[in-house]
Amino acid sequence: MFELKKGAFVVDELRNVSIHIGKIVEEEEEEWEEAGPTPKPGIIELRKWDHKLLERYEPFYAPMQDFCNLCTMGPCDLSMNKKGACGIDLKTAKARLVTIACCIGASAHTAHARHLVDHLIEEYGEDLPIDLGGNVNVEAPVMRTVVGIKPKTLGDLREALSWAEKEIVKVLHSVHIGNEESYFDYESKALHVSMADHVGMEVADIAQIVAYNFPKAEPNTPLVDTGFGIVDVSKPTIVVVGHNVMYARPVTDYLDEQGRLDDFEIAGLCCTAHDMTRYSAKAKIFGPIYYQLRVIRAGLADVVISDEQCIRADLLDACKKAGVPLIATSDAAVRGLPDVSEWPVEKIVDALVSGKLPGVFLPVPEKVGQVAPLVAEAVFRKHGGERKYKFFENDEQLMEEVNKCTQCMNCVFACPHSLRVDQGMVHAQKTGDLSKLAKLEEICIACGKCEQACPKNIKIINVIMRANYDNLYNKTGKTRVGRGPIQDTEIRKVGQPIVFGQIPGVIAAVGCINYPDEMKSIVEILEEFLKRRYIVVTSGCHAMDIGMIKDEEGKTLYEKYPGDFDAGGLVNVGSCVSNAHISGATIKIANIFAMRPLRGNYAEIADYVLNRVGAVGFSWGPYSHKAASIATGFNRLGVPVVVGPHGTKYRRAYIGKPWKKDKWWVYDIKTKQKINIEPAPDSLLVAVETKEEAIVQLARLCIRPNDTSAGRQIKLTHYIELHQKYYGDLPDDWPVYVRSEADLPLKQREELLRILEEQHGWKIDWDKKKIVDGPIRPYDAGFNPTLVEEVYAKYTKG
Amino acid sequence: MAVTKEEKFPVAKRFDIADVQVSRDATAVKPKIVANVIKKAKRPLLITGGQLLKDEKLVEFAVKFAEKGIPIAATAGSSKPLIEKGVKPVSKTYTLHQITQFLQDEEFKGFDGSGNYDTVVFLGFLPYYLSRMLSSLKHFSKITTIAIDEFYQPHAKFSFTNLTKDRELYYSMLQEVLDNL
Ligand code: SF4
Ligand code: SF4
Ligand code: SF4
Repeated sequence: MFELKKGAFVVDELRNVSIHIGKIVEEEEEEWEEAGPTPKPGIIELRKWDHKLLERYEPFYAPMQDFCNLCTMGPCDLSMNKKGACGIDLKTAKARLVTIACCIGASAHTAHARHLVDHLIEEYGEDLPIDLGGNVNVEAPVMRTVVGIKPKTLGDLREALSWAEKEIVKVLHSVHIGNEESYFDYESKALHVSMADHVGMEVADIAQIVAYNFPKAEPNTPLVDTGFGIVDVSKPTIVVVGHNVMYARPVTDYLDEQGRLDDFEIAGLCCTAHDMTRYSAKAKIFGPIYYQLRVIRAGLADVVISDEQCIRADLLDACKKAGVPLIATSDAAVRGLPDVSEWPVEKIVDALVSGKLPGVFLPVPEKVGQVAPLVAEAVFRKHGGERKYKFFENDEQLMEEVNKCTQCMNCVFACPHSLRVDQGMVHAQKTGDLSKLAKLEEICIACGKCEQACPKNIKIINVIMRANYDNLYNKTGKTRVGRGPIQDTEIRKVGQPIVFGQIPGVIAAVGCINYPDEMKSIVEILEEFLKRRYIVVTSGCHAMDIGMIKDEEGKTLYEKYPGDFDAGGLVNVGSCVSNAHISGATIKIANIFAMRPLRGNYAEIADYVLNRVGAVGFSWGPYSHKAASIATGFNRLGVPVVVGPHGTKYRRAYIGKPWKKDKWWVYDIKTKQKINIEPAPDSLLVAVETKEEAIVQLARLCIRPNDTSAGRQIKLTHYIELHQKYYGDLPDDWPVYVRSEADLPLKQREELLRILEEQHGWKIDWDKKKIVDGPIRPYDAGFNPTLVEEVYAKYTKG
Repeated sequence: MAVTKEEKFPVAKRFDIADVQVSRDATAVKPKIVANVIKKAKRPLLITGGQLLKDEKLVEFAVKFAEKGIPIAATAGSSKPLIEKGVKPVSKTYTLHQITQFLQDEEFKGFDGSGNYDTVVFLGFLPYYLSRMLSSLKHFSKITTIAIDEFYQPHAKFSFTNLTKDRELYYSMLQEVLDNL
């Protein structure tokens, strides 16, 4: 029998005709689960779910501009919610802007995934199996739930990718002038495209894990050096920066083949750094994206390899000034450089080392692997270790720079953090004491805006860095290498305690580093939860900052807390795209613990998560568009997100009004009634200003309607304790979370019952120490909440 | 020489399609005016922010506002030093972000249930964060907003002028508001 195979065929006698056979449906598709209602959803399929969320968690807008400039009928003054020439009002225009931001974020991860998958299929073939280790059977929870597929090979990932690409284009279309009229519908689109973002991330990370053999859900991955002071100055240093490791990875292979891996330092900035360490634990992490100018200006790099996303747009300029050759690799950021893909390696090396070219565009990973070490070695030979770790030649030079300052304060008004550079300068001028300048380093994101504002052209960044040099150098520790997914076995163990509430919550600290406070604040916030045995998950730049801050004994959180997804564990999943394993873990709880089917069953799963899984996202310093889509994707899945104050610049939040009693209800599948519930969680996206506020908000947003009494008691105990510790009193809203006396913290039970009686008019039976009347609803062990009519119908049938 | 109002030439007026784009920016006011606006308010509210945790002086000023009978909604943990000094904030738990959302709702009855606030004063916030919240209130509410932080806040209805090298001057401005209440 003639058997069809994949590939191109030339048909005899028909010379000019060839037939290309793509994916062949060889067998009936495996019936791994009954198909749910929304596989491969379009814009409309989950709109009803979105509206449920949006009615409760009302969109909040904080415009940055009063005007809209998007088309040539404008500019239009939309202030006070006026309409523009096209008819759009301010709220809808802002919702459109958020949708655009989420489209950018989703495209970044999805294009990254596309780059990777196409490249990896070429290198490893489309049949490379998706094997994430023995303890991971639910390999792609997001793809299963959203797209409705169960990918088995690298090639299968293309189906999910094509779906995500299609949806991103459709949502992008909707932001064209003259489309939506309702801000609710733009929000629904922002939620939709952000859900696609999580698919894009999952594809990207699964592809690189299986192809590059990254750690596969192992809790005890190695610890790698992290921080500014990690470089051995006697070795040439190759610096990688960005998010797509596929270009820089062959550097490790090349050096390994040559037996020279130990002769070089390979260290990275941002997510490429994470992924380099996932490939080889010999790689190191300099730090988050705002360490770029710290590293480059301190002469640490002998060559820089850039790829894509979040990299400085003046990287070439910064490298040129520091005399460091740049290799740009991704077509997303060609940087005006000549494409040297076709050049022989020697010619590229010569052009870069001689300075004939300050940088090149080289999108060929294998060549990058050879070129970078050769360039680094030659440049290192020129300068030696001499130039490393220097912001100024000597102290005189530093003071000369400081003495130029006239305290005009232009820098203060330009600085995103309004840092008082002027005060630091004048203090140093008068006393020679650099401590006030040094303090600024702890918050300075080295953005360079102050330098452009300074009429005296002072190298303000160098001054600040030099002033805090010792601390900066010593902010060096260990990061636990990103582990990728959470094991099914781990979920099996913690699923019930999370859903019942005995594990008080999962805090997922992810995203960028535009913190409102010193770097150590992220550690202070998270340790509060680790000590209280919450599960803390992290990724991206947050995960590497944690690796830089040490306690008095010189230990980072990674050395103090285990890498298990369990109470008191600190789990680094990896880079930005690894965030899909966090959304994936919440989905797996619904599936593995509660046996809810995933396949194309998004609304039911998100509804499950919202009502039962006490997970909260936390981004202390979000700035990228990707952070916007990651957070919005979590929101659609029913996971609230707390952001630092810069997060308000995304211009939109989802904030419920707990005092509006009619907004807080569910259908109870057990009693077959619609019932009023406590407002938990009461926000889906909310900003905080201080670390104290972050801690308290995170604790309160872990409360879920489905908590058992034991669970609620634990959650409420932490919330009340933290509120008293940081806010000096009981929370304003604690009574709304009380369904029966069993929900109350044991130690304070009597005191709280008295307050309920005296201040809130509740009826208490003091003999039995029981609440007789008062709560929004009584506790019912069989309570089975849902917001989705179809889910209600499905489980009340028969 | 610039054209002045008194001259025969027309004055320069901003217009939408060729302009630096600000629709309404705050009236920069002296402390006395701030006091007058607060005095005229039927339902004033002072919201305090996280910077109270970094600047003891701001706590002292907030206490004085409370002593003048102005209710305080403390955010970001600023309730702690206030409570320690005997103040009872009307709100401690909610963030400025949440309160700004509540204020925009016509059904919001205030933290004491007696009605929404008509004049809200802001003290002790990170400038970029406060700016966003003031923008939201400017566009989507009728509340009179007054920023008395160190930075001029264009999105407020009334704002102090900008910070200077001299922080004492700023403190004296706050004191002057209180003296005139
Ligand atoms: S998109 Fe609408 S509001 Fe914006 S500039 Fe054009 S006409 Fe004006
Ligand atoms: S480089 Fe630092 S001090 Fe300068 S503007 Fe940026 S954050 Fe502010
Ligand atoms: S802009 Fe330059 S001169 Fe002016 S205060 Fe800042 S550092 Fe000094």
